[in-house]
Amino acid sequence: MAPRTSVTAPDYKNIPHSHCLPSSHRQVTRLFSKLSRQSLISLALQWLQKKNRDFCLPFLAGDADSEAEDYDAMYAPAGSHDELIEYYKALADRKGGRREVMDRILEGDWRNGISMFQLATAEIQHLLDHPSNLRWTAKRLARTPSIKYLEADMEVTDESEHLPRFQAQTFLANLAKELTPLMKAHYLLTKIKNPPITLLRVYVHDSPYSTEASLAVDSASVDGAKAVFFIFPHGTPHVWHSLATNLGQVVGDESRHLRDVVIQAIPKAFSKPSNRFQLVSTTFSARSLSALLNYRGPGKTNASGGGYSIFADTSFSQNAFDFITTRKPDGIEKAAPDHTNPLTVGNPAAGRAKRVLDDNETPEVKRRKDVAQGRFGSSARPDDGAGLERFEVRIDDPFPTTPSQAQHDGQSMDVDDIHQPSRQGRRGRRSLLDRSEAEQEEADEGDDWTPDVRLTFQGSHVFAGIRKLLEEGVIDGEKMPGWMTGEAGVTTGAIKNGRIRTKKGIPSV
Amino acid sequence: MATMEALDDEILAIRAQIASLHAHRANLGSILLSSPNLPTRLEHRPVAKEGLRKKAAKIVKTQSNRNHENIYRACAGVTAYKVKDPDPNAVDNGNVLGVRIEVAVGGKFVDTYHVLLNRPYPTRKTVLKIHKHTIPPCIPLQQLATRFLPAPQKDAVTPTEQDLLKFGRCLRKELVAWHLRTNAVVKLRAEAGLPDEKDTRDVEMEKNPYGTVLNAFAGDSDEDSEDDGIDKTPPGPPRITDIGANTGVSEINFAWSNGQTGTMNVTKDGRIEKAVVRSKQGAHLVELSRRATGRIEGLVERLAS
Repeated sequence: MAPRTSVTAPDYKNIPHSHCLPSSHRQVTRLFSKLSRQSLISLALQWLQKKNRDFCLPFLAGDADSEAEDYDAMYAPAGSHDELIEYYKALADRKGGRREVMDRILEGDWRNGISMFQLATAEIQHLLDHPSNLRWTAKRLARTPSIKYLEADMEVTDESEHLPRFQAQTFLANLAKELTPLMKAHYLLTKIKNPPITLLRVYVHDSPYSTEASLAVDSASVDGAKAVFFIFPHGTPHVWHSLATNLGQVVGDESRHLRDVVIQAIPKAFSKPSNRFQLVSTTFSARSLSALLNYRGPGKTNASGGGYSIFADTSFSQNAFDFITTRKPDGIEKAAPDHTNPLTVGNPAAGRAKRVLDDNETPEVKRRKDVAQGRFGSSARPDDGAGLERFEVRIDDPFPTTPSQAQHDGQSMDVDDIHQPSRQGRRGRRSLLDRSEAEQEEADEGDDWTPDVRLTFQGSHVFAGIRKLLEEGVIDGEKMPGWMTGEAGVTTGAIKNGRIRTKKGIPSV
Repeated sequence: MATMEALDDEILAIRAQIASLHAHRANLGSILLSSPNLPTRLEHRPVAKEGLRKKAAKIVKTQSNRNHENIYRACAGVTAYKVKDPDPNAVDNGNVLGVRIEVAVGGKFVDTYHVLLNRPYPTRKTVLKIHKHTIPPCIPLQQLATRFLPAPQKDAVTPTEQDLLKFGRCLRKELVAWHLRTNAVVKLRAEAGLPDEKDTRDVEMEKNPYGTVLNAFAGDSDEDSEDDGIDKTPPGPPRITDIGANTGVSEINFAWSNGQTGTMNVTKDGRIEKAVVRSKQGAHLVELSRRATGRIEGLVERLAS
């Protein structure tokens, strides 16, 4: 490739799709080694398509200059795009290792470098292959209240659109306008049909330059999170965001800060004059995309968690023209309301097989199962794919006073003393669960002692676990508070009077 | 091999037959159970065992309940029911009022939506609040609720006025209108000779594993003619290559084989209010845009004429 003679100066440009990272760059090799053979081949075929060719120039025989020819290349450069397409199609048909394809891409056809477009699409492919690899936080775009427009906002007219309008080009232009003075970034926005989401990947390049050379510099810092993902589920006011990190990787302050800058720019890019948006927390974060689709998605399940899940599927309200009541539960006739989620690899047969064995269970076990069915409905099945990994609550109810405690006044004084330093002693970031000042005041106001009790449930599918415990008789299903069924649809919350505190208004709209 | 396949086919055919016979039997069963004289005859005819009579009466009762419920649901469109919240800490002893909204399009039942309300205000016993619901987020539920089911003001003198009937009516209107619009877009696709969007979804995922990139401007965006390997400018009038809409169907997008694109604003009652069609070079095609405005039905026809 001809040496670039551009002047390196700080500028106000985005990083274009066609800028390349060297094939041996750490980020490139790390990402490509995570992709499967099939994904690599399908990516290569995509890159060779005519519409993408400008961004993903492969190394062809015609490009080889005289000096490059004598170095003994492992892979002979192909003659044309079509030849390469044929080659990758042949690769797809035959069996082989992942390494073979990866080497061919990095050391053969794209030895000159992997473009930003390729890097972005490869990372998105990886995300879609492994939909529970990242930790997502769901936020909601809410209209900033302004007195002037408050009245009009409440009316449901033909013209009033209660969801922010998403127009890809305008949105990206606005976002770039917000961000370019602060950092250079590469954007890739892609619309996915199944699941119905639009995905934005922002590759953050912390440098005043947008040149290829500055991209290739391996940043000295070890924290690898340079890309931020945003998902806009179609037809919802929600935005999910995540840092592209590996599992368990510690993210440094710098990347966190850069991510925050991007997050702050998102609502501004949606806003128009006199129609401003802000991002508000929905106290929900989860690992799997199907859980997010379930709790913060475009469907019916957002505000009907736990036992209320029977209202979202057909188990409570059958077709109004279905008059048949004489169905025998003999398996064949059983109308299976399979709401198969695109991201779950569920096994519907697994649940049914168990029911056959139920004949010889004791009445007690059967009763517990019925109670579990009543409390959880059709949610919290181990194989439904909508598992939450972490559920945290803080209990704000006053400590139940027993008569013996009321006699010893001094005791509660002691506890207060212990209680204070423990709060200050905690270091690190403020937890979402920490009481705000108003809440703290409220807790101190009453005569009762309100200890700072926090519960964290952790596992691969927290609510399925609680359901299992209930079915096994460990938890009393009838006395169990409602928040333990996951009906509130949050992963962090405060509990008062046995219920999760909710903000005013309707759940998840 | 041939016999294997023949046997497989036969098994499949028999399975289908069994299924249809089962359905037939169930149908006949419910017709028999719904016959009007059955309960009286059951009571008066002598039976061998009293237990069997009770069992039969119970089955008949279930059937008649179902008939009742379905007739109400099908005719009223919005029905209410009572729910008991199993949560021991639930407000108002777990009394929940459910509102069920049926949506039927073209004489067929499509879907049911629920809104569950409770009474969380101890001092104002009649004021309702939405507790849970299954309304998709593209329906402006919050706006409807603030209008018809406002929360009581802290120190207001006048009692809060809520109108559950109007709320249900408006919400049903929104839901039905949304379904009708969605249906209209499906019909538009059929009129333009495009395959059903649901069928193409998997094929599309295979074709574009990472979705359609929306900010790839430098390349030719004329994908379809390239993918199909057709010449760049096909002879004859341009055909429609894609019709899409957003989830709330407030906006429809068109793409033509000659690179024209169009965006149309749809009102809630299915009128196309504003439309912009641009050529591949970005010129505004005023004539086409003007023709697009009007009812959503017949849009393809209007654009082609």
